[in-house]
Amino acid sequence: MSGSGSASDFVDPVTGQPGAIVYQGVHKAFGDHHVLRGLDLVVPAERITVVIGRSGTGKSVTIKHIMGLLRPDAGHIWVGDDELTTMSDRELRHIRLRFGMVFQHAALFDSMDVFENVAFPLRQHERLREAEVRAKVGALLDAVGLRGAERKIPSELSGGMRKRVGLARALVRDPAYLLYDEPTTGLDPILTAAMDKLIADTQRAHPGLTSLVISHDMHAVLSIADKIVMLVDGRVAHEGTPDWFRQSDDALVRQFLSGSLDGPMKV
Amino acid sequence: MNSASTPAEDLGGPRRRRGLLVRLLEGVGAAVLGVFRAWMGVIEEVGRAAWIGFWGLANAVIPPVRLRLIAQQIEFIGVQSLPIILLASIFTGAVFSLQSYRAFVTFGAQAMVGGTVGVALTRELGPTLTGLLVSGRAGSAIAAELGSMRVTEQIDALEAMAVDPVSYLVKPRLVAAIVAMPMLTAIFDFVGIAGSYVVSVHVLGLTEPEFMVRLADWVDWEDIWTGLFKAFVFGLIMGTVACYKGFYTRGGAKGVGIATTTAVVVSSVAILVANFFIAWALP
Repeated sequence: MSGSGSASDFVDPVTGQPGAIVYQGVHKAFGDHHVLRGLDLVVPAERITVVIGRSGTGKSVTIKHIMGLLRPDAGHIWVGDDELTTMSDRELRHIRLRFGMVFQHAALFDSMDVFENVAFPLRQHERLREAEVRAKVGALLDAVGLRGAERKIPSELSGGMRKRVGLARALVRDPAYLLYDEPTTGLDPILTAAMDKLIADTQRAHPGLTSLVISHDMHAVLSIADKIVMLVDGRVAHEGTPDWFRQSDDALVRQFLSGSLDGPMKV
Repeated sequence: MNSASTPAEDLGGPRRRRGLLVRLLEGVGAAVLGVFRAWMGVIEEVGRAAWIGFWGLANAVIPPVRLRLIAQQIEFIGVQSLPIILLASIFTGAVFSLQSYRAFVTFGAQAMVGGTVGVALTRELGPTLTGLLVSGRAGSAIAAELGSMRVTEQIDALEAMAVDPVSYLVKPRLVAAIVAMPMLTAIFDFVGIAGSYVVSVHVLGLTEPEFMVRLADWVDWEDIWTGLFKAFVFGLIMGTVACYKGFYTRGGAKGVGIATTTAVVVSSVAILVANFFIAWALP
């Protein structure tokens, strides 16, 4: 299949769910650096998919493609019923409206307080009355445990609080797809566990949501994922359920899970 | 195979000479390539800066208009620059009249002070000094703000939220710069002449008609419009360079520092160069 169709025409072999986002034979190079080398991946609808892999294996590039921030050199990408590779920049911008993104370092606007940060996507894209904005932002700040912090500015927040504000901002327009770029990087173990729980709770609270998480945090990967994808050299090396990864004898998987220096992956 | 060989060949003489020639050619080639790449880099930078300037201005007529953001930036670039512009203009006018008085009085032409100061301020000193001062104050701040937004992924976050960062960040700053710069220049001209008047009439002893007659005779609307047109161009240069340097910042905190410094240096030099060419082109 090429060019036409829909992501739901593909079935994820791991979860049995129809695809929400599909990569087919995607290549991307920056100069001589060939990052994605024929990526084939089905992100199942309404599930949490976690992508793992060493730094530089193309995880961030993978996410940037589905947001239309990068275009592939070859291959096809479907987001829902839309094939991205033939779209104009304007159409790609519209695709982004369906996404929410939680950035590695939250990427909050430091000129705005917490309330305005969370309200920002609503103010930019929707014409709501102020009372509606307040209700929606208030409910989300409740959900992430930050009621009362509305008037704080980002520099007054801890790392964990900033990420929770980032999650509230990503959810405020009820996205169909939620992307997390290393959501627990820089957090202590307790906050990491809290963030993992928040990701799982968010998924339960939004049953139609498709989540794609990039992570190095193996505890989170094994506890929250419905599907784990391991990228090596710009391709999917392994994909499976957390149980499959726990029980796998594959040297790459064992090395990554144990964080060992000895194994097929060299520093 | 002829085994007879000269001692020089045995020692690798021709080979060494060939090696030298190859190295020389390689050196020349590398130098030419280096210069070519440097020029390509400059052309690419100018092209990207021009694109951001053009797209920022083109966005001025594309909805959403973002009037609130433009007003905020006019307040930042214009209103907050007023103290430094007022101080600089008073003392520029004052020192210019002092120095020109000392020169003119030697041949009894001190009545020319008002006219000379008026023409110099409206055509040259007003727009140029305003351009340089605003570049130093607001241009550096714009580059630093956009640069830190870039390195902390705030600009990526805008794109991820389907908000055009050029429309949201660059347009308000660019529009504010080209609106605020002529206004600040007009204030610089007026206050500078006022400073000159105070020093000439109340310190140096010129009579009011002596100062005012030549001022009114020599300064015409063309001088004022020329100065304001220059200020418009300088605003465009300062806004474009500061936004460009900030928007494409790379390399963390150090990159923000470099972007800030180069924004001020490049826009200051560009303002001085543009000033010459505008003065040359206009009557």
